[in-house]
Amino acid sequence: MTTQILTQTGRPAHEEEREAGRFLFSPWHLVLIPLAVVMLIPMAWMLVTSLETLNETRHFPPVLLPHTLAPGNYSAVLRQAPFARWFVNTMIVTVATVAGNLLFCSLAGYAFARIKFFGREVVFVLLLATLMIPFQVVMIPTFIIVKDLGLINTLNALIVPNLANAFGVFLLRQFFRTLPVELEEAARIDGASRLSVLFKIVLPLSGPVLATLAVITFLWTWNDFLWPLITIYTPNNMTLQLGLTTFQGTHQTATNLLMAANVMSMLPVLLLFFLAQKYFIRGIATSGLKG
Amino acid sequence: MARVALHNVTKQFHGGTLALDDLSLEIADGEFLILVGPSGCGKTTALRLIAGLEKATSGTIMIGDTAVNGVSPRDRDIAMVFQNYALYPHMTVYRNLGFGLRERRTPKREVDRRVREISTILGLDDLLKRRPAQLSGGQRQRVAMGRALVREPKAFLLDEPLSNLDAKLRVQMRAELKRLHAKLGITTIYVTHDQIEAMTLADRIVVMSAGQALQIGTPQEVFSRPANLFVAGFIGSPAMNMLRGRASARGSADTEITAGELRFTRPGVPAGEIVVGIRPECLAPAPADATHLPGPAQPTLDLEVDLVEPLGEQALVHGSVAGTAAHSGAEEEQSILAEPSSRAPVTAVFPAGSLPGPGDRVRVRVDPGRIYLFDAATGEAIW
Amino acid sequence: MSRVRRILQSDHVSGWAFAFPAVFLIFVFGLVPVVWSALLSFQQTNLISPPKWIGLANYKALAHDPLFAQSVEHSLVYTALFVPISVLGGLLAAVALNRKIRGIRFYRTAVFVPVVLSTIATAIMFLWLLDPNFGLVNFLLSKVGLGPYGFFDSINGALYTIVGMTVWGWIGFDVIVYLAALQGIPQSLVEAAEIDGVRTWSMFRNITFPLLGPATLFLVVWSTINALQLFDEVYFLTKGGPGTATYVVVYYLYSLAFSQGIAGYAAAMAYVLLVAILCLTLVQLWIGRRLVYYAS
Repeated sequence: MTTQILTQTGRPAHEEEREAGRFLFSPWHLVLIPLAVVMLIPMAWMLVTSLETLNETRHFPPVLLPHTLAPGNYSAVLRQAPFARWFVNTMIVTVATVAGNLLFCSLAGYAFARIKFFGREVVFVLLLATLMIPFQVVMIPTFIIVKDLGLINTLNALIVPNLANAFGVFLLRQFFRTLPVELEEAARIDGASRLSVLFKIVLPLSGPVLATLAVITFLWTWNDFLWPLITIYTPNNMTLQLGLTTFQGTHQTATNLLMAANVMSMLPVLLLFFLAQKYFIRGIATSGLKG
Repeated sequence: MARVALHNVTKQFHGGTLALDDLSLEIADGEFLILVGPSGCGKTTALRLIAGLEKATSGTIMIGDTAVNGVSPRDRDIAMVFQNYALYPHMTVYRNLGFGLRERRTPKREVDRRVREISTILGLDDLLKRRPAQLSGGQRQRVAMGRALVREPKAFLLDEPLSNLDAKLRVQMRAELKRLHAKLGITTIYVTHDQIEAMTLADRIVVMSAGQALQIGTPQEVFSRPANLFVAGFIGSPAMNMLRGRASARGSADTEITAGELRFTRPGVPAGEIVVGIRPECLAPAPADATHLPGPAQPTLDLEVDLVEPLGEQALVHGSVAGTAAHSGAEEEQSILAEPSSRAPVTAVFPAGSLPGPGDRVRVRVDPGRIYLFDAATGEAIW
Repeated sequence: MSRVRRILQSDHVSGWAFAFPAVFLIFVFGLVPVVWSALLSFQQTNLISPPKWIGLANYKALAHDPLFAQSVEHSLVYTALFVPISVLGGLLAAVALNRKIRGIRFYRTAVFVPVVLSTIATAIMFLWLLDPNFGLVNFLLSKVGLGPYGFFDSINGALYTIVGMTVWGWIGFDVIVYLAALQGIPQSLVEAAEIDGVRTWSMFRNITFPLLGPATLFLVVWSTINALQLFDEVYFLTKGGPGTATYVVVYYLYSLAFSQGIAGYAAAMAYVLLVAILCLTLVQLWIGRRLVYYAS
């Protein structure tokens, strides 16, 4: 299945020409503009508030354009909470999880795609079955396992259980199967080992799907809340999402600081989104079309 | 049913590509007109303009007696068969056939009658309850045609409808199309890159290249009296042999034509550089003793044979003669294995029987009356 | 070649060597816990002291637990609202966004961005946006003479507010899937329909919507599964309140296992949730099989 990047529209040429002609305004703008407004207002409002002084936030009617900008809010957040720590923790966990997934899911995906080994079909079906299980069913036993391994309240508790995701194995297996097997066969005839074939031939051709997996794993790990909530209780070890909730608890009335913290927590994901929009969209679209 | 006409139609796409350049065509009521040419010549664009799927940059498109330039496809009362058939995959054959009629508020009973009538004509009666995915290529093609015909449109447009079929099926469907047209008599405009299809099906052919119509005529006209080099080189398989030549005045009305080894005279040809064209079917083996042939002596050429392709009753003999080759512009590819030489490649059609082999030298003769002459500079035919 | 070497170089060994890390991790953290949870559900345990086996007592207790019944009701109400609104809304938005007019990239991005924000970040934004005293929404409502509303503090309105907020956050996902599906419809099919005489509404009803069947089914199933697992927003914004107005199954589960240390009961609840999700998904897929046309 192709992964169009949603730049074309798939409608009759003459309709598009007609509309492209009406370049400046089309009746559809009447729908699109309010839609965009509704989508963007919460973030815009958050941004504005994050730059306001405390007095201005307490203003009713709300101030739309602050008279005095208070960018100091951002550094205040860093001082009043271990925000930088949270940021680093989350980054470590996310990068480690992404790296682990890329490695382990590639290896496994390749095995399932190309190597006939005993029990392959059964194991693969079982892997897929795990995708159907809601997290809450596995959460308690997984907690027990992590506790028995002594990892509670450490970053490893967040990394280890998520180092390989069945979705990643599935995604990569499907992709590897679409590559022409002749390339790999030629390499093996030339004397390459399976490992070499994977790393020197198959993976270099898999750029887009690897990028998609990386981006989706990054997003999911960065935004994860429930599992860190269960396993981490010391503020210094918290991830951003968890830290934000405690920050909100302690700074309930300092909404300007809270908004500043929120903005900072979003920045990496937003940055990644704008740089790698293609891969986000591709990842979501392919899972939908295969669903 | 109606006439269709294009008057001075130009189509330029947003990127700047000029797809059609001042094209004018008139299609008579009930005529089967074929637009033929290499890919990119604009034939599909012309068809889509008639359908209303694209808008002309300038010029008028007429269906019947009305100009339809701004009219959307649904209101033009035309029907189209797409190259990939474009059948509604989620509907049964019956519903596919009747869909257009239902959309135009035709009463159910009338729809049923017309669908069953067309289905019988096209042999689809047993397939009415199936979905397109369950049909073979040929069956899908017939459903696509049925969907178009059931609406009894003013004009019937077909965009390379046979190109997705395998060779045998294609020949079969060609004959069926011809029979259908004879029976129903709908104005038909057909696009193809296959000149054999064009020759066998059309009432008239339009040979197109680079957005222009190079010649419009009956298949016989286009074959026997090509208006220019491109048409001469495009129509006819195997392609016409072309040699560079010279016309020089010889005192009296006759001009002497020379091309390589070839030498003959023809009246009324202006002096200058010309291209000489000879169809492969016009080159016959010359008997050793030429005096036994009736009529004036025919010019002969020395053919150095390179390759022989037997075709059953006939054989294609590929080789070279003295002289320089000329290009019509209609060639698909240059031969990669041919060595550059000072001779011109030539193909002849020989009857099966004692055939020469590679490396042999044969003398071939040609009737000078069947040699074509073209102006080397303009490509126009010289009569 | 020695037998040992032959085995070592065989596909079975290399296959397992490659697959082992991922398979091991997924089995340990994804499959084993499923079975373990089943065992837990038959126990009484607080995760610290040794557990006690009590057979089906947990499940029986669930059947009589009024808070559980409330949680189920809230989860179902939430799902029944979230799924149709977000899927239909996503469809309409995708249709609107499926054109080449000026700035379409901007509008699409505006719709996609909320999807990448975390549940907590979204909740924080809306907490402030809907603030009863200083929030923008109450301000705008006051301009037309309505409100001010408590939103998250209102017994009747809290759940609906969460519906609205999560729809905002997820509609972009539906739009992406639908846009890809819309663009997957072959242009020649649309053109053939045009020539056949279909007008806009008929085109949508007879051609576009049926061909979007697979996408719709996927989104309905996926949205339902996720909606039934609602947790983050409830934990952060309402803690199940006001009162128990927003108690949903997963929140109840969490508070039982990790706040109150009643893990066995929670495990039983998790299993009931799993079964419910599986059944609902199967029903939806079965209905889908009959209604949806799949390109072969």
